[in-house]
Amino acid sequence: MRTDRELTPAELDAFGAELDALRERTLADLGAADARYIRRVRAAVRLCCTAGRVLLMFGWFPPTWLLGTLLLGLGKILENMELGHNVMHGQYDWMNDPELNGQRYEWDIVGPADFWRHTHNHLHHTYTNVIGRDDDIGYGLLRLFPEQRWKPFYRRQVLWATLQALLFQYAVAVQHVKLDKYFKGRISKDEVRPLQRQMNGKIVRQWAKDYLFFPLLALLIGANALAVLTGNLVANLLRNLWTFAVIFCGHFTEKAAVFPAEVLENESRGHWYLRQLRGSSNLEGGPLFHILTGNLSHQIEHHLYPDIPARRYAEMAREVRQIAARYGQEYNTGRMSRQIATVFRRIWVYRKPQAV
Amino acid sequence: MPSFVFSSAGWLQPLRLLVAHGWLREAGVDAWLGALRADWRLNRTFARVHSLRWVAADMLALRLKANRNWPGARPGQAVLVYGERDGVRLARCYSLTAVRGRVLELAIKRQPGGRFADKLIDTLLPGDVLELGAPSGELEWPRDADSGVLLLAAGSGITALYGLLREALAKGCKQPVWLLHSVRRREQRAFVPELQALMARHPNLRVQWLITGEPAGEGELHGRLGAEHLRDLPAHSLLACGPHGFVQKALSLWSAEPRAGTAQWEAFSPPPAQVAGAGQAVRLEFARSGLRAEGDDQRSLLEQAEARGLKPKHGCRQGICTECTCQLLEGRVRDLRSGRETSEPGQPIRICVSAPLSDVRIDL
Repeated sequence: MRTDRELTPAELDAFGAELDALRERTLADLGAADARYIRRVRAAVRLCCTAGRVLLMFGWFPPTWLLGTLLLGLGKILENMELGHNVMHGQYDWMNDPELNGQRYEWDIVGPADFWRHTHNHLHHTYTNVIGRDDDIGYGLLRLFPEQRWKPFYRRQVLWATLQALLFQYAVAVQHVKLDKYFKGRISKDEVRPLQRQMNGKIVRQWAKDYLFFPLLALLIGANALAVLTGNLVANLLRNLWTFAVIFCGHFTEKAAVFPAEVLENESRGHWYLRQLRGSSNLEGGPLFHILTGNLSHQIEHHLYPDIPARRYAEMAREVRQIAARYGQEYNTGRMSRQIATVFRRIWVYRKPQAV
Repeated sequence: MPSFVFSSAGWLQPLRLLVAHGWLREAGVDAWLGALRADWRLNRTFARVHSLRWVAADMLALRLKANRNWPGARPGQAVLVYGERDGVRLARCYSLTAVRGRVLELAIKRQPGGRFADKLIDTLLPGDVLELGAPSGELEWPRDADSGVLLLAAGSGITALYGLLREALAKGCKQPVWLLHSVRRREQRAFVPELQALMARHPNLRVQWLITGEPAGEGELHGRLGAEHLRDLPAHSLLACGPHGFVQKALSLWSAEPRAGTAQWEAFSPPPAQVAGAGQAVRLEFARSGLRAEGDDQRSLLEQAEARGLKPKHGCRQGICTECTCQLLEGRVRDLRSGRETSEPGQPIRICVSAPLSDVRIDL
């Protein structure tokens, strides 16, 4: 497991100050290059999605169908991760561009952006890996840490995880509706209903676009509507699987730590940083890989600096690594194949009560 | 392309409805519209530069044609012109010197250290496209002023008053009007041939220039604005436009004598800057809640809003989660963590870690 050194309050302050200094240095350097970058990402998203949708109009002919589906999936992955997720964190708010405003951006998935801004930006990023506070620990479906109380429900969690991977965008949407709390009788129907309505509205819009409008358009121009529909389904599925894999590697790897709720009492800035560092894990890979993960491959840097443009994480990581080493903290990183294997192992092992 | 298809804004209406109900995203639609024609947008106002002409040594007048989203304005009002520097969208306010339907004229003056204006002046070409904000400004031609109107402008303050004056004369204003434009150097006098032509056509108009920084020419006044320049003026109503200090001076001179008319003014530089976080009182305006209150420059805007009974959406209260982000509409705020200051209108700020440095208006 982890071999972190415990830090004294004074050390924590110094640790926090070093990370703050890196933050300020990077913020001061933001400028035209970052603005150009995110607009290029957006252009790439539009290009991929448009090209994908055009190619799908050529029907089942394998080269165009496969390429069309892949391009559409790629566009959706980029939009979801590098554009939507990062913009919605307010990473580009400094640009003052209403189209890239974190509070107003609406992404191309069934989960309403408002839901995500609450469950993810607020709950997950503030209470990262704190048992009982951060719903992202297993998303209420999985037991991934021995510190989570076992329930018989978890016995079949391999199945639940598989379903979640296949339907990940729906899992993201449902999380905010708090159906688990509703079924336990902890919140009332009146609290759930407006959320449910908002979610249903977004799902209908997404379905209407992917599964109705474009297939109908195909019919209208004499193309194969079924090929278009299937292409959309597969593209969404690809995105679900990829985002699931990346996000589960962020906090559920072998060396990711969880925390009891007590740590939140009068928590210092330094300790908040420490918790982000210990609770997150990185993935190693090339530049394209990092972009496809929305730079969540730099999950540690993302959690230390959720509002700094993600394209900066790679260069910040070098310094964060040195700071972590200086304070005797492990820096959890590895290739995706290895990291995800440890996640799968957790899903398998902690399905049983005695595994602690 | 048959012109009747695009002859009215109506063809965009279905798209607007789809966007308003969340079926389409405005940014996506705008990208396609903008690709078709640079000034086409669904809701935002963009304008094409028609022509450029120098109206003073340091002032460039633009004639623009706005797209159909232009809400209309009066001369003398100002519009925000948007631009970008170092990746940041900035906006500056320029007065309209003329408005005819969607054809607008505004004038941009070089400002010392004003990189925004300089960039516009140095790079704009006919055919370029600019984004405009909604028109604002309360100045209007005095209705009750049979006994005369005094127009006092300093520097680029001439633009607002020139717009008002031209419109009033065109509408047949017969009352005595006296315009005094104060500039540092003679070459900074703006719209000189236009004003002289107006004087020739309208005997009730008198225009004079006040040169503050070099010897005055014939018929011009010299020195800073003072009581001697305004002595024995019949004017009863005042319109003043210029930097803060000039407007203050104009108002005190005007009110030194009893006048029947009204005074209107617009100052385009902020009052002298305060020392950061010195414990001064500021005025807060929460625009969406319609609440105005006294505040201080120590505590965060979130705390101060809550102390006034508002319940802004918020999350972590430490500047992490961005849940409390809202737009700064006017004024200057300081980031309590880094001390960084922001005063860009429309800039998203996190109110849990932002304290006001001046009177502020936020979209809350």
